[in-house]
Amino acid sequence: MALARHRVARPSLRSAAAAHHRATARRQPAARAVATNWEIRTFIGVVAFIALVVVLAILYVGQTTAVSRGGYDVQRLTEQRDELRRQNGLLEVRIAKLDSPTRIESDAKRLGLVRARSVPIVAAEALAAVR
Amino acid sequence: MLGGGDTLDVVSSRRVRVVFWLLAFATVLLAVRITYWQTVGRGALLERATSQIRSDLALPAHRGFIRDRNGAILATTVDLRSLYAIPGRIADKAGSAARLAPLIGQDAATIQRALESGAEWLYLKRWLSEEIAVQVADLKIAGLGFENEPKRLYPNETVGAHVLGFVNDLGVGQLGIEARYDALLKGTDGRLIVERDPANRALAIGLRTETPARNGADLVLTIDLVFQAAAERELRAAVEKEGAKGGTVVVMDPKNGAILALASYPTFDPAHVAQADPEALRDRAISWSYEPGSTIKAMTVSAAIDQRVVSPTTSYNDVGYAIIGGRRLNNALGKAWGPTTVLQVLERSLNAGAVFVASKLGAERLHDYLGRFGFGEPTGVDLSGEQGGLIRPLAEWYPVDLGTAAFGQGLSATPLQLAAAYAAIANGGTLYRPFVVASRRDADGEQRTAPVAVRRVISSETAATLRTMLTSTVDNGLAKNASVAGYSVAGKTGTAQVPSEDGRYLDDVYISSFAGFAPAADPRFVAVVVLDEPESRLLGTVTATSAFRGMALDMLRSIRVQPDRQP
Repeated sequence: MALARHRVARPSLRSAAAAHHRATARRQPAARAVATNWEIRTFIGVVAFIALVVVLAILYVGQTTAVSRGGYDVQRLTEQRDELRRQNGLLEVRIAKLDSPTRIESDAKRLGLVRARSVPIVAAEALAAVR
Repeated sequence: MLGGGDTLDVVSSRRVRVVFWLLAFATVLLAVRITYWQTVGRGALLERATSQIRSDLALPAHRGFIRDRNGAILATTVDLRSLYAIPGRIADKAGSAARLAPLIGQDAATIQRALESGAEWLYLKRWLSEEIAVQVADLKIAGLGFENEPKRLYPNETVGAHVLGFVNDLGVGQLGIEARYDALLKGTDGRLIVERDPANRALAIGLRTETPARNGADLVLTIDLVFQAAAERELRAAVEKEGAKGGTVVVMDPKNGAILALASYPTFDPAHVAQADPEALRDRAISWSYEPGSTIKAMTVSAAIDQRVVSPTTSYNDVGYAIIGGRRLNNALGKAWGPTTVLQVLERSLNAGAVFVASKLGAERLHDYLGRFGFGEPTGVDLSGEQGGLIRPLAEWYPVDLGTAAFGQGLSATPLQLAAAYAAIANGGTLYRPFVVASRRDADGEQRTAPVAVRRVISSETAATLRTMLTSTVDNGLAKNASVAGYSVAGKTGTAQVPSEDGRYLDDVYISSFAGFAPAADPRFVAVVVLDEPESRLLGTVTATSAFRGMALDMLRSIRVQPDRQP
């Protein structure tokens, strides 16, 4: 009886190991689940980080490219403006040449025109008095 | 005893150590090299790197416009296309030269020689007209290209050449306004430091340092293009008719000294100065002093009337000559006129009469008045190369000098000085400093030139009296040819002898001139016409007065002056 009690009170090493094994076996699915969750979260975090970096890089490169393209556009427009200004300058010179009294006089002579001997001028006061 | 595996381990370990030391050595070498390039060689490396991508450009400032008083362009700068060649890229040099020759106005053989000269790059023709440039571009010859280069253009060609001057190939103003106002006109070049891509396009990102160019100021002159064209037309006709050595015309606004026209003949084309005769570059209006002759009689009479020693009706007995300082001074042609008034002295241009008036006035006062009228010193006009003429100091005058100075011999003046002196009579007695630039406009705004009244020379009453006397000189005297139908004209002719190098006067060589203004009652312009050694000698004044009349007609019509007389 005493022995039986002793057996009950003090389990053998083998039974303890078995118990531990059983306990461990009961805990394993939960730990595995926790570990899996951590790996997934880390993976997602890393992927998200990489994606963020990629997006930021794309944005940066996109903006830089846009600025660069804008710069080329500005340069092209500046060249166009300069060329238009140059053409405008040439047209101004052409207008000045056509307006030149010397040219007009020589063309008039070529057409057989002669200088007016007199230009009749009506005095403003006399006109006002008549009215 | 080692097994096979142990032997391999030992060999591998040794190889690893060798590789390690090799790598370590290479690393040290690289570190040393990097340290060198980052310290001692940094500058050279940086320079090499930046020179490949960075360009340092001068941003040329635009040279300012020159306009007449009504805004017409007299001078402007435009970028024209210059044709260059890279001979190494031209496959058919002979064929290309033959196609280019008729367009750029050069011999095909000359072009071919240039292309085969061994040069890597060369200009074939600079500053092409736009039409020619387009035709050359249409040829599509590989190895030819265009570069824009600034070019000063003068749309009115020779008109106003002496006032404007010109700009040389380096962009530096020479003569006239271009020289006098070069610093203002040319502006300040800017600078652009920028990085470029392999296609030589400026990068928007990266280094960019820009100091913008400051364009030159635009100048508005007092010159009136219509007046200037009329003056040059009449002057050319007069000089060619007379076979004269040259001539000059000055037209001035008597109310403020503004120069409305200034012409010299022979003249030049500012766009083709290399082909001009050096004499043609001389602005006779300001840099040629001559003995003015009888046109000075107006000043002599002004001084005497202002000092109240004579009046227009004061008379003397003209015997055809005057004796002064033991010398006999004759009238032109030696004619005796008998009883003559001071008014008739001007009408008939009598030397003896001028000596009579000067004797009443005295040498000191005549000398003083000539100085007050501005003779003997530069007028201060804003043009380069002005001469001051010469009036010897009073202490050096011989008694005869009083007589000769009275009719404009023994002293010298420029046409501009004479115009300024007549302007003083025309405006009521005030001598103004002549000026050509009416205003200048730049980024800071517009600055206008204020007229400068130098001094009062004669009273307004004296000036009014002289205007009447000079009007009578045109209406009734020798200057009749200057009269303009419908307008009162005042003026005086001058025929001056020309001194030789030994101090004596040359026989039968004269300078003919006319100085006058219109309308006489309220003058709108003063004009001086001078012809240098006309072939008709004493009759040269007739041509000078004709030139005045031709100009006056155009000018009075141009500014719409109402007639003050019945035609």
